[in-house]
Amino acid sequence: MLLPRFDYQRPRDLSEALGLLAQAGDQARPLAGGTDLLVNLKLGKVTCRLVVDLDGVAELKDVSGPGEAPSLGALLSAAWLAKQAGGLGLMGLAEAGGVLGSPQVRNRATIGGNLCTARPAGDLCTALLALDARVVLAGASGRRELPVEQFITGPGLTAIAPGEILLAARPAPGATAGGSAFEKLGLRRTMEIALVSAAVWVQSEADGRTVKAARVALGAVGPTPLLARAAATALVGRPAGTEAFAAAAQAAAEAARPIDDHRGSAEYRRQMVAVLTRRALERAWSRALEATA
Amino acid sequence: MAQQFDVIGSRAPRLDGPAKATGQAIFADDLHFPGMLHGAILQSPHPHARVLSVDASAARRLPGVKAVITAAEVGTIKYGVSPARYDETLFATEKVRYVGDEIAAVAAVDLATALEALSLIKVEYDPLPAVFDPLEALAEGAPLIHDEFPGNVCAEVHQEFGDVEAALAKADYVRTDSLKNKRQDGGFIETHCAVAAPDLNGRVTLYSATQVPHYVQRNVAMVLGLDLSKLRVIKPYVGGGFGPKAEATPLDYCSTALALATGKPVKMAYTREQVFLHSRARHQFIHEMTTGVTRDGKLLALKHRAILDGGAYTSFGIATVYYSGSLLGGPYRMANMKYDGLRAFTNKPACGAQRGHGGVIARALFERQLDLIAKELGIDPVRMRLENMMEVGDVTCNDLNMSSLGMRECIEAVRDGSDWGAKKGKLPRGKGIGAACGFFVSGAGYPIYRSETYHSTVTLKVDEDGGGIKVLSASAEIGQGSDTVLGMIAAESLGVPLDLVRVESGSTDFGVDLGAYSSRQTLMSGHACRDAALMAKNRILGSVAAELGVDPADLDFKNGVLISLGPVLDIAPLRTRYRKEHRGWPNLPDGEALSFAEAARMAFLAQGSIVGTGQYKPPQLGGKYKGAAVGTSPAYGCSAQVVEVAVDLDTGQVRVESITDAHDCGRAINRTAVEGQMEGSISMGLGEALFEEVKFDAKGRVVNPSLGEYHIPTIQDMPAMKCIVVESDEPNGPFGAKEVGEGAIMPTIPAILNAVFDATGAVITELPLTPERVLRAIREAQGKE
Ligand SMILES: Cc1cc2nc3c(=O)[nH]c(=O)nc-3n(C[C@H](O)[C@H](O)[C@H](O)COP(=O)(O)OP(=O)(O)OC[C@H]3O[C@@H](n4cnc5c(N)ncnc54)[C@H](O)[C@@H]3O)c2cc1C
Repeated sequence: MLLPRFDYQRPRDLSEALGLLAQAGDQARPLAGGTDLLVNLKLGKVTCRLVVDLDGVAELKDVSGPGEAPSLGALLSAAWLAKQAGGLGLMGLAEAGGVLGSPQVRNRATIGGNLCTARPAGDLCTALLALDARVVLAGASGRRELPVEQFITGPGLTAIAPGEILLAARPAPGATAGGSAFEKLGLRRTMEIALVSAAVWVQSEADGRTVKAARVALGAVGPTPLLARAAATALVGRPAGTEAFAAAAQAAAEAARPIDDHRGSAEYRRQMVAVLTRRALERAWSRALEATA
Repeated sequence: MAQQFDVIGSRAPRLDGPAKATGQAIFADDLHFPGMLHGAILQSPHPHARVLSVDASAARRLPGVKAVITAAEVGTIKYGVSPARYDETLFATEKVRYVGDEIAAVAAVDLATALEALSLIKVEYDPLPAVFDPLEALAEGAPLIHDEFPGNVCAEVHQEFGDVEAALAKADYVRTDSLKNKRQDGGFIETHCAVAAPDLNGRVTLYSATQVPHYVQRNVAMVLGLDLSKLRVIKPYVGGGFGPKAEATPLDYCSTALALATGKPVKMAYTREQVFLHSRARHQFIHEMTTGVTRDGKLLALKHRAILDGGAYTSFGIATVYYSGSLLGGPYRMANMKYDGLRAFTNKPACGAQRGHGGVIARALFERQLDLIAKELGIDPVRMRLENMMEVGDVTCNDLNMSSLGMRECIEAVRDGSDWGAKKGKLPRGKGIGAACGFFVSGAGYPIYRSETYHSTVTLKVDEDGGGIKVLSASAEIGQGSDTVLGMIAAESLGVPLDLVRVESGSTDFGVDLGAYSSRQTLMSGHACRDAALMAKNRILGSVAAELGVDPADLDFKNGVLISLGPVLDIAPLRTRYRKEHRGWPNLPDGEALSFAEAARMAFLAQGSIVGTGQYKPPQLGGKYKGAAVGTSPAYGCSAQVVEVAVDLDTGQVRVESITDAHDCGRAINRTAVEGQMEGSISMGLGEALFEEVKFDAKGRVVNPSLGEYHIPTIQDMPAMKCIVVESDEPNGPFGAKEVGEGAIMPTIPAILNAVFDATGAVITELPLTPERVLRAIREAQGKE
């Protein structure tokens, strides 16, 4: 459990960072909060010759202004989200940030790190998926954007290319017109990797009754955070309320692909998907009404 | 009870508080010596295998490696905890018996080199079939783990007091229940660490993160063939022990052997994963119990059986399997009790002692069963407990003597403190309340090895200038506050304020003390400390009385000054002499009474250094039957708790909302410290009830050897706690004190189980209460309704 030897660089801007990464090829790793990277280096799950600390790259902490389409810099921390994302109309993301790890971990853990680690249970990944977020990537040959759904390709796997840096996560421009919520089930109240999590986003028609649009994302019940499309279909165009939420919860449970492991059975996880989805929908809906009003 | 104390019973701040709060306290891993080497241990990757050969030649050739030791170098002297079951050797020779069994150790210039050297040691294994489940291990045809123990039976206990079958036949109501827990980890913050430093005269000082310097010294000396006088063990500050640090570890043996081999200091520490592999923590128990009562709830007889998953070696296991039976003797009146206990060997790390040693699951099941009986009979469970309660002076059927017992007061305190009457049976579904009691020894009556040794000796030395007092004790401050308790006992006994007292403890050079286990130090080390202080005080008073021409029996100290119980004293001549010695000094004593410093200085001038010694061993204790040594104690602490829970009926999550806790610790030496033990016990019991489980894969490897995946409670999981200290006056304890360290955990698990039952009707027979398990039990209970 000793930290292996590596070189450390702290570039002062993006082009310097990209340059360092380009030089070292797959022998370099960007460092954000380090809450995954340092653990994995110690465990020998990741090896690298160079660690490039992104902390000096100011634009990675940029946030969109009021009225703009939401954009969140990759280096923003879970603690920041817990405090600030609600004010941006992204309560689901605030809730996810607030239940990630412990206060110390939240102070370090970043959006970019959570996305690039791409755990099936990643709390921020799941919350961003429900917000139909896209990631912005920068590399030597320019910038590109991908939906989170395509960015995360498998457990621990992403579409990021060697030398690329994740700049920001951008929830769908219309995300703030709806309401979102995040539910997480674990053994303890804190310091828990989700046994199951559910992130939902819903938007109300002007009538304040009918669901206009919806997204339901599930964590820890598949190889990646999953989008339960059938759950959204069960909601859209129907009056919000117990019946629709139950139908959506049921559809979400069916969409889940949980496995048995030492932390819980697949069957229990599937049942909990329904419970968490329903609870998240209830909360998200009341937020959606506020957003519509 | 009208006795007045000046120091005892206060909330004096801990003596080690400033050092710990500022990070200045030195723990084993903080130690550095010039030229210090770093050691590491090679552990078996197989749960059960023959060791065909060990080839360390490549490791020895690696630059930076200073020594490699295997069984060939250190020999194969067997050791363990109880000499009745010495079944371990430092390094495996013929077989390895669990993933983690030790093969060899290396010392090198740094840890990275030591670890690299381990990877160069070639071991040829011939894997054998392994067995991990205790019931499978006991079944016919199971792989045999130790040739000396047929059937994988490590230890068996069969005890009967009274006539259980006859009593059960007379009972109006009999029921049988079962409970199974999971193997636990101690979850202490500081992992085990040892640093052995040789000197130029062939002696070694071993600094060890241990609860038991005395046993470490004996075992390491025995295994390495050293004279005891050549080995000194010093325990620096320790970051928690809870039992798994109550025996010598391979780190202790290896660092000492490597220090002797290289002539250099050697440091070794376990990673968190290795703490799980070393284990020596709580056993898994599979417990079944049958209790018979009269129609009105009077307890007639208890018959119970326990099977313990011991892991690969015995460790504390014999005591564990006995405690699991004997501790149910109290606190209820019950004339008939039969117990059959069996500890099985399996190919997993050895289990040992952990807070509430052996008694926790037996107690949990019994208190759970009492509630089920009460419900069946329509009696309030708290009332039923009160009606069966023993009184001071009662002796249990297995000869445990209730020399003090505030059990009734504890139950009444938690009943009233929790507003039980207004809540029991009146809470909405999903909310529940439950009560339970507990009971524990205040120090094992006998040492682990057979001996007439004193269990504790204390030397107290008064500074030659009279100004301060030093207590020297070999006892182990491991975070529980024993140094503060000894300091307070010394101060009270001498009649001086606490700030005159310095406590130095944890070194085998300071005498004999069996250490911090079985909740013994306050009572036993406290006794020795009080006697040492009284001897020193009497020597001082003797000199002062002679100078003043009065009877020493008329003199005493109080709050640091001399008082007379008889004639008015003329202290002027003594003060004048003292002042002459201190010409030019500011702040000399000038009160009406002679200060302790002046008196102690006069005594030094007359007699030389003033030293008091004290020693303690328990009086002859009851019980002539086999196994009576486990459970008999000079005193017993007891406790009661009322727990309130909220259960999420959709997810099965249990939230413990509040705990009202009362503990009879005899007289509280330090109230804050007593409450600290009560709160710590609640946290540990809550973790065992709700979260904790060491899990293994099919190859005998621990799947969750980290505090990320092995869940101990965080502050957010803790309930609101109301801790009520109930004081009795224990005749066998110093100033009437007895235990709180372990007994306080006893009621937590059953009270939670009883509350969950009250909230949901779910009968849960397996711990921990994971949401999944609870939800299943809720659905089963609904199915039956
Ligand atoms: C005790 C503990 C508790 C935890 N609890 C939770 C939890 O409850 N929920 C949860 O989801 N996670 C949890 N985690 C995991 C971790 O904290 C999160 O995944 C976190 O978001 C990672 O962010 P980071 O900034 O620390 O990433 P880092 O460790 O710095 O980086 C992680 C990976 O992403 C890469 N990377 C980081 N930023 C960028 C970027 N901008 N561009 C390109 N690559 C990048 C790094 O090279 C590395 O490979 C926990 C971890 C610990 C240690």
